[in-house]
Amino acid sequence: MTASKLASRSTLFTLLAGLLLVVLIGWRIAMLGDYTFARIVQDFLNALTLGSLYALIALGYTMVYGIIRLINFAHGEIFMLGSYFAFYAMTLTPMHWGLALLITVLLGGTVLLVLRSLFNLEEPKRTAALALLIFAGTFFLLAFRNMGWIEALLLSMLATGVAGVLLEAVAYRPLRGAPRESMLITAIAASFFLQNMGQLLFGPRVQGFNAETILNRPLNFTIGEETVYYTGILIVVPTVTAVLLFVLNLFVSRTKLGKAMRATAQDAEVAQMMGVNVNQVIALTFFIGSILAAAAGVMYAIRFGQIHPLMGLIPGIKAFTAAVIGGIGSLPGAVLGGLLLGFIEIYVVSLFPTLSAYKDVFAFVLLILILLFRPSGLVGEDLTEKV
Amino acid sequence: MPEPLLELKNVSAYYGPIRALNQVDMVLYPGEMVCLLGGNASGKSTTLKTILGLVQVGEGEVYFRGERIDPKPTSYRIEKGMAVVPENRRVFPKMTVRENLEMGAYLRNDAKGIKEDLDYVFSLFPRLEERLGQMAGTMSGGEQQMLAMGRALMSRPKLILMDEPSMGLAPKLVETIFKIIKTVNERGITVFVVEQNANIALSIADRGYVLQTGEVVLEGPAQDLLHNEAMRRAYLGEV
Repeated sequence: MTASKLASRSTLFTLLAGLLLVVLIGWRIAMLGDYTFARIVQDFLNALTLGSLYALIALGYTMVYGIIRLINFAHGEIFMLGSYFAFYAMTLTPMHWGLALLITVLLGGTVLLVLRSLFNLEEPKRTAALALLIFAGTFFLLAFRNMGWIEALLLSMLATGVAGVLLEAVAYRPLRGAPRESMLITAIAASFFLQNMGQLLFGPRVQGFNAETILNRPLNFTIGEETVYYTGILIVVPTVTAVLLFVLNLFVSRTKLGKAMRATAQDAEVAQMMGVNVNQVIALTFFIGSILAAAAGVMYAIRFGQIHPLMGLIPGIKAFTAAVIGGIGSLPGAVLGGLLLGFIEIYVVSLFPTLSAYKDVFAFVLLILILLFRPSGLVGEDLTEKV
Repeated sequence: MPEPLLELKNVSAYYGPIRALNQVDMVLYPGEMVCLLGGNASGKSTTLKTILGLVQVGEGEVYFRGERIDPKPTSYRIEKGMAVVPENRRVFPKMTVRENLEMGAYLRNDAKGIKEDLDYVFSLFPRLEERLGQMAGTMSGGEQQMLAMGRALMSRPKLILMDEPSMGLAPKLVETIFKIIKTVNERGITVFVVEQNANIALSIADRGYVLQTGEVVLEGPAQDLLHNEAMRRAYLGEV
């Protein structure tokens, strides 16, 4: 009784808040006077791009939380690693063949080991075929190609996915069964560790990330008399995000491993009783979350043109906020929350230029409001722990 | 005597410093239906978890189909032919009935055999076939119990372990469920059922064990236990 009353009250609140927001925005647009259709389109494109990036990162937070109830604070650093891997892949190739061979053996070997344990590849024939493909592909890319952004993106996704699995194996797996606070603090430590390791390995300087011209070539068009500034990356980010979301959705709803992941999130012990190897599923979750973060990292770097070892911090926290706003543990929630945050950030700055210095604040104000009035998030169902 | 399907030899299990099982010996022969009785906190569920590998054996040995399995992981034991109907049913609430059944066949790759077993499950529980697309969490307790049993059967097990199948169900439904358990058992699947409801469990089982504070205090043919004085006083609610 009380639960349904509460639910209807929070729905009412959401409706009222939405209505208030629409009125406020309408009033503001009318006040501004010069807020033309072209600007609406411009803001929409910018917001969609930013929101897509947040959504990709937020998925990693929400998936890991769904499986082991851990806020993986090092996820922002995984995102940072993704952009650096792509950076080096693009700037250092083609390499001297000896160096390329060494990196191929190191990287390919780790990738193979991780993939084997993730997908239970027991047939030696299949493993050999996969090994050949990975080693030959990596070596070819490193030694003979000036890597383009697509190749670098794919290679970075694979390498970052493996880095995520290693992070889980080194930092979190030994703590399985420990109190949740221990895991949480370890996650914060892992985050600091990766930031400092990044500064040590990559240098603390900001590096320019010069993507190919095709992504930065202006594709401006005009609406009426005004110009909408448009570049390739503004198409690429939402498209790549949509493709990745589609594939992820297929994986989770159709494949055996995807179903095992959902089952583990709902009841890990019973999933184990069905024969699911829970460690494998957890590693797989980190793998997928890190792949998505790497994609976001590479595209973020292309969009904003520079990278540095601490770049994961703010997008990481924002994406975490997005995951909570959407309802942590829920995949559609993370996407919705990410997009919402992207739109809020862009439109606040556009509608209230005087407040642009506070743009980061609005995300967190929204977080507080959501936590106060709808603690399970926009699409999260219930927060009560299973009994 | 045939080779036992499952054997617990001198098994003790611990939760931290607390001993939950004390030198338990049990044996199940192929095709039998055996029930495990006992009051609250007598170690019934721990026994099941020890057999499954969810609780580690402190001392003693567990054999399944002639192989020592206590050092093996849960997934290995499932693959070798165990299946569980857990306490409180515990179906996956946000998965459909079909997906729940598929999870039961998680370790199998023979599409044809899985289809046959799906048809067998539907023949036992026609209700599940009607509800294939429904989210399991929205079904009634009885339907969830049927789903949990169907899910266990989907692995084509040699041994089914059931934890309190009667819990929280209406008496009429309990009768139905136990009738189906008997049908499953008559198909040659060994059943090991943990029950609070000693009357109904003993009325269909071949043999029974009674646990008290982690020790086997009584064992024997079900009919004997049903008429055992001490047993009746302690568990069947007679003064």
